[in-house]
This record gives sequence, structure tokens and C-alpha cells, in this order.
Amino acid sequence: MNKALTPRPQMPMGALPAPFHKRIAAENFQHSWMNWNGYASPGVLDTAEFEYFAIRNQATLFDISPMCKFRINGPDAEAVMNRMMTRDVRKQKPGRVSYVIWCDEDGNVVDDGTLFRRSDDEFLLFCQEPQLLWIKDIAWGFDVEVSEVTHDLAGFAFQGPTTAATLRDLKIKEIETMRPFDIRDIKIAGKKVMISRTGFTGDLGYELVMAPKDALAVWDAVYAAGQLRGVRIIGYEALEMARIEAGFLLPRVDFISSQTNLRVNRARNPYEIGLDWLVTFDKPHYNGKRVLQRLAGVAPKRKLFAIEISRDKAAHHALVYHRKTREVGFVTSALWSATTKRNIAYAWLEAPFGQEVKDDLWVEIYLQREIEWQRRMERVMIVERPFFVHPRRTVTPPLNF
Amino acid sequence: MSGDFDAIVIGAGHNGLVAAARLAKEGKRVVVLEAAPEVGGLLGGADPVAAMPFGIHPKIASGLGLSRHGLRYGAPMKTLSFGGGERVEIDGSVARGVSPEMAANFAELHRKLARYSGALAKMLAKAPPRFRDGGLGDMLSMAQLGLSIRGLGKTDMRDMLRIILSNVWDLCEDEIGDGPLAAALAMDATLGGAMGPRSPGTVLTLLYRFASTGSGGAGQRSTPIGGAAAVVSTLTKAAEASGAAIRTSSPVARILVDDSDRAVGVALENGTELRAPLILSNATPRRTLFDLLGPQHLNAEDVARLRHMATNGMVARIDLDLAELPDGLSEADLGHRIVVAQDMRRIERAFNAAKYGELPEAPAVELTGRKTDTGWRLAALAQFAPCNLKGGWSKPKKDKLAKATIKAMEAAIPGVGGKITGWEVRSPADLEATYGLTGGHWHHGELRIDQMLMMRPFAGAAQYRMPVAGLYLCGAGAHPGGDISGLPGWNAAGQAIKDGGAQ
Repeated sequence: MNKALTPRPQMPMGALPAPFHKRIAAENFQHSWMNWNGYASPGVLDTAEFEYFAIRNQATLFDISPMCKFRINGPDAEAVMNRMMTRDVRKQKPGRVSYVIWCDEDGNVVDDGTLFRRSDDEFLLFCQEPQLLWIKDIAWGFDVEVSEVTHDLAGFAFQGPTTAATLRDLKIKEIETMRPFDIRDIKIAGKKVMISRTGFTGDLGYELVMAPKDALAVWDAVYAAGQLRGVRIIGYEALEMARIEAGFLLPRVDFISSQTNLRVNRARNPYEIGLDWLVTFDKPHYNGKRVLQRLAGVAPKRKLFAIEISRDKAAHHALVYHRKTREVGFVTSALWSATTKRNIAYAWLEAPFGQEVKDDLWVEIYLQREIEWQRRMERVMIVERPFFVHPRRTVTPPLNF
Repeated sequence: MSGDFDAIVIGAGHNGLVAAARLAKEGKRVVVLEAAPEVGGLLGGADPVAAMPFGIHPKIASGLGLSRHGLRYGAPMKTLSFGGGERVEIDGSVARGVSPEMAANFAELHRKLARYSGALAKMLAKAPPRFRDGGLGDMLSMAQLGLSIRGLGKTDMRDMLRIILSNVWDLCEDEIGDGPLAAALAMDATLGGAMGPRSPGTVLTLLYRFASTGSGGAGQRSTPIGGAAAVVSTLTKAAEASGAAIRTSSPVARILVDDSDRAVGVALENGTELRAPLILSNATPRRTLFDLLGPQHLNAEDVARLRHMATNGMVARIDLDLAELPDGLSEADLGHRIVVAQDMRRIERAFNAAKYGELPEAPAVELTGRKTDTGWRLAALAQFAPCNLKGGWSKPKKDKLAKATIKAMEAAIPGVGGKITGWEVRSPADLEATYGLTGGHWHHGELRIDQMLMMRPFAGAAQYRMPVAGLYLCGAGAHPGGDISGLPGWNAAGQAIKDGGAQ
């Protein structure tokens, strides 16, 4: 080919390799890649079920580098985060993480994420949706610097019962005193690492963040230390199973960010999503507060519920009916939960269903069995989130398994 | 809530005084807090920035009984347009000094604009409808505008909808042709804004000005006898007669908000705190919400809308001292509106320079004048002089503008340049510094379609209510906007009374 005539792309084409790409690619026997925020992210490396059971019984590595990451620092950092989040950020001490949501002026949820308080005047925010300009709009007029650090920080989730034992083997003493949502600055393989006792699985686990240049050294050290503890690299599919069990919601799957919806009635507020436990009014003005105060007093028009379904077939994308005839909602996430032996799902139900009317609800499940379709009506029970949370998640010091 | 007052009005510009007078007339205990040593805002002082005010809206004049306090109108002003050739006189729809054909066309155009502005005038007089969670009343109000346009008849309605978002250049070229006559209309359409005759939406601003009518009828300016000072003094008297207190030299530092998210008072710069359940601000939207209230009380969306509100002032005020009047200008002429612009092309050229942050070589000028002890003083409004002038405003820049203005005047009124003994320039930046006027913009923000009606000052904040309960905007930044009509103050007070405050 004539080199001079070959077009040179001005923008990277396809998905970018994430900081751990070489290690993940080496074990990605399925060659299954997804595009997550512009990065190649593994869907499944060999078998989703094996990876899932590794989350529940062993230790797992999952690359979270593609998450959107923002640094907010300066004298007004606390005021700015408090003005953005529905929780009272003033109560969050340095060295702590909190799960947060934030809303637009109409009280609809923009996104959820984890907020790391690094010091009195520095925060890191990890979330799903790109939104640098949104945070800058929130911060306008305040003495604070907002920067996107998505590409400047690498990170992986290290989740599962044997993670603490693995870190003990690496002589990380800090884990002995770390409670859930604690942050420590440690060294692994001589590299600086920010470790937090957080995760997406409802079980014992950690998240490790480091500079991209140190990424492989840290990964290799943890992976090597975990060999006798059953460590595995996992992909999105296995994590998705664990996160449904753990009661976490996924933007773009269970609800849509109010910054991205095109149809005006698709945005959802915390009362509808069931995240109203994150909303407090006992703090100064924050984005959407005035509308949220109005919404607090009225029954939502629709609500997202955790449901349990009879028999064993997962109700992916199923419609929900009342008395088997009237359509009243639909399922967003569904799973046969192998750990809890329950058929679980999240479903949006129009009021009053799920709220006052909880009986006689059904899902319509379509099953394809060697070409032929079967249709099943299965009973729905409204239940509480999460479906799974293990006591070892919170025991401090963490136990060896 | 116990308070020192029922209502606090920030700023004693004419809108602040109108609001205070209306609130006091309704039995509210009102205090007006003015930062300057004297009341009146842009109408205050010996040489007020707004030297040639329109009349206060008749509804307000009668509602406040302003004639009892001495407000009298002279005959409607004429417009005298100097373009270098024969001088053109415009008296309502009658134009003199142009060809009979042009005069006939102008009369027709003038009558047409007067009819169309009548449909618009109904909207100006009341609070704008609200689209978000709009009630039946709002829908009816919107329908009424539709009906009043429909009421023009099919032909007029179609024509109005055809031209309303177009530009005054095309309209005048189509109907009367370019020249001093068209320039006079184009000045009305563009003065105070950041638009040239060819900018879209200038027919709308022209209709707006036609609709901001005094007692003289559509498109005709009536200035009260005694000018700006008379407007200020009668409004002050009306407010005080109803019991409103007016405190000058009392700059407000911030608006106080309590834990329940209500505006409950103000803190003065001297530390004094005054409390009231209703706070009405005659300051610009940006000054009110960013400086006095603070962005911490606003949603990010509103902060962004307010930041993006177009407020770049484009008019400089030049006071010119003359030992005597030139031959082309009589004492009687000074009682009228004088326009110095050869044609629309010249105005558009002046705008072209300003668009890029530069001073025009030949500014377009509107002026009036008064006798002084030693001679004459002409109050010239020179456009376009951008607030965001490249390199900033300085004495040499002001002198350059003054000289260019005098040169343009000399070309139109021969001999005037030689009579000028001195000048004083007030740039938009000076107006911002002196009056807290964001961008030095007369109207507190551009009057254009995306900043009008329910979009004024910005979407979601119309109807005078600001995001914090108890806080209202009563100045030109609120509907219906600029010019000296008093309607924003009147409507804001009406809305505050309707909402009831905490009483």
C-alpha cells in the first residue's frame, strides 16, 4: 500500500487499551471486548460463571480505569461538593469514601458515584458519565479547581473473600484497621497506591488506584500474591451478576442520567429510583433541592423495585402485569442468583403497583428452547435490596479465607 | 415573620421607585435602599444618562396618581434626522424633507408598525406567561397574544409574522429606501443593544420601542415637562406620599437568606441588617443573583443561564459643551430627538467595528440638549461603543471616540464642531462602575427574542420571582425590559403582592 495515501486518523479509532490491557489480553481467551467509555474492557475472559464464583469464593481483579474520574480541590472544595450532592458532604471526613448521587434542577438524577475525600480541600469523584462541564458549572463562582483525571489515574477493583489474606501476604498492614469506606495511602511493589475498602459486589473487597505508569507493577504484585488464593481476572458479565445481587443500580441500564436522556419524561428522581435514603434536606441549598423537597411529600408516579420471581428462569427485559392482563411495568436487570438461589430482578412499576398494590403481579418470560419459544407467567414478589450482602464485608480487621 | 418592613426595594432607579410606590399604596411598609447619594439611577443627576426618557406607562401614571404629584407631558417630540443633506423631520407618521413618494411610504410603514406594536403592547403590560408547569391562566395569557395578533386580520397577521424576526434594514429597504429617514428608524431599533440594522430581530426591537408608548401614541416619544428630573421627583413623591421610606447612600452588600431558603432581608455595606419578607431588586439580574445573593443559592443550570445572558453595553454617553449653537440647530430643536446618521449603512458600519471590540470611525448619534449658564450642553448617545473594548477603556480611547463623534456631527450639521469647547465621555465601563450596571448595558441585558417575555432574564426565572422565595427582580432585567416605562417595577410589585410575602 502507498503509505502517502493512507489516511491518518486524527482521533484514535476503535477502543483504547486501558493501563492493564496487556495483562488482561493475555488471559482473554474469549477475545471478548466491550467499549467502556472509549476503552477496551473485557466482557468475559473464559467463562462468566467461573468468574462470578471467583467473586463469591476467591479473589478477582477488574479494571475500573475507564470510569470517569474528577479531582476537585481548593478552599471551597467541600462547599462545591456539598452543593452538588444530595448527601451532607460536610459530614464526610478526610480519608473516607461515600456513595453519592446528584441531581439537576428538576430533581432528576444526573449520576451516582463514589466520592473520595482525600483531605479537607481535596476530593476525587468516580462515576459513570462524562461530566466535566457539569461539575464546572456547579463550581462556578467558588474558589476551587475542577479537573478531569480519567486518563491520569489507573485503577482496579480487587474483590472477594480471599482479598484481605492476599493483601496480608503483601504485608499491607493498613488493612487491619480499615473499615468499609476507609481510604489509605499504601505502597505495593514500591509504588504509591490509594486503597479503599469499597466495591460493587456486596462482599469483602478493595479498590486500588495508582498512576498509569505504575499500573502493571501493582497489578503483577497483587496477581502473583493471589495465585494460591484463587485470584482471577474477571470481565463485565461476572461483575454484572454480582452487582445485581449486591443491590447496586447501573446508570444506562436501570435508570438514565438526566444529562443524556432525549425524551423529556425519561429522567428519574431519587424517590422513583429508591435512592431517597441518600437525600437530606438538613443542609444548605444544593442542586435540585427545592424540587426534591416538593417531591418528598408525594407518592412517585413510578418506582424501581427489587423483585423476586418464582421458578428459575431470569426475567431479562420482561414485561410486568397485574392480574396477568394489565401491563404495569418492565424489568431492567435480571439474574438467577446462584449464591442466594433466588430468581431476582429490578423492575419499574407504574403507581400504584408495587407501592399500594403488591399482590397479583406477574412477569411474562419468553424462553427459547432450540428454536421454539415458550412463554411463562411467573409470580412477582416485591422485596428489599440488597439480595446479597455478606457479613464479612464489614468485619474489621478483615478475616482470612 | 416579624420584620422591620414588609418590603425592601434595592435601588432607587425609576423601576425601584415605581415598585416601592405600588407596594406602599397597597399598605406595605416599604424602604428603598439606594447606594448613590441621590435617587433616580440612570435618570438621576444634572446630566442623567437617560436624558430623553419615554413617558412612564399610562397605566402606572394613573395607578400612582402621578399627575397629582406634578407629572405633565409636553407635546410629543419630533425626530430630527441629520444626514448631511436636507434635514428630515419626523412628526408621528408625517415625514418632511424627503420626496413625496418616500413620505407616503413612510406614513404607511409607520401606521403599520403602530398597528403591530399594539398587539405587542398588551403583552408588555403584564407578567409574562410561564411555560414550565404553566397553569390555565398562563395558557390564556399566551393565547391572548395569539388572539391579539390574529385580531389584526389575516393580511396584517401574516405580514407581522413575516417581518417580526427579520431585520430593520430589509424592512426599510423594502418599504422606504435607505437614507436619514430609515436611519432614524434604525436608531430606534438598535440603540442600547448590541445589534446593527442588519441583525435579525431588529424589527422586533423596533416594535418594542413603538409599543413602549407614552401619552403621544405609538412610536411617538413624549418626555415629561422637566425631563428625567420630573420623572424622578414625581415618582419619589408618589412613593413617599404612600409612606415609603427612601434611604440614599445605603449600598446593600448582600441579600440575607434563612435556613428555610427564604430571602428575609439585606445587609448593608455598613453592617446594618434590615429584615422584610419581600425583597425587590432593581439591580441587574447578575448583580442581584451573583453579587448580592450569591451563586451558592442557585442551581448550576441557572448560574450557567445567567452567565450566558447577553449584557455587553454598546452606548457611550458624551456631553458636549458649546459656546453657542451652530446655524443648523435652533434652541427649539433641542427639545426634540436629534439623530445624526446619514443612513442605515453608516450605522451598520459603526456596528461592524464594535462587533470586534473596536471603536467606529463614524459613530451614529442620538442627542438632545439644554441651556447652561455659559452656553449649551448637548447630551449625545454614541453607538456603537462596546463595553468590552479591545485593550479596555482609557482617556485616549474616550477622546478618540469623542473626536470621531464630533467629526460625524460636523459632517451632518456643519459648524457644530467649531462651537464645541469641551467634552466628557461616559463609557459603558463607566456606567458599570458608577451604577453597578452589568456590562454598562442600559436594559440590564439585551432585548432580543431569546431574552424576552418568559425568557427574561432567563428561562425558568420569569414572572419576577427569583429562585429564592421572597426575592423579586423589579428592574429592566425583568420583563418587559428596558426603556423608561416603569413596567418591570410595576409588574414585579404586583407579583410580590399577589404572592403575599409572609403576611
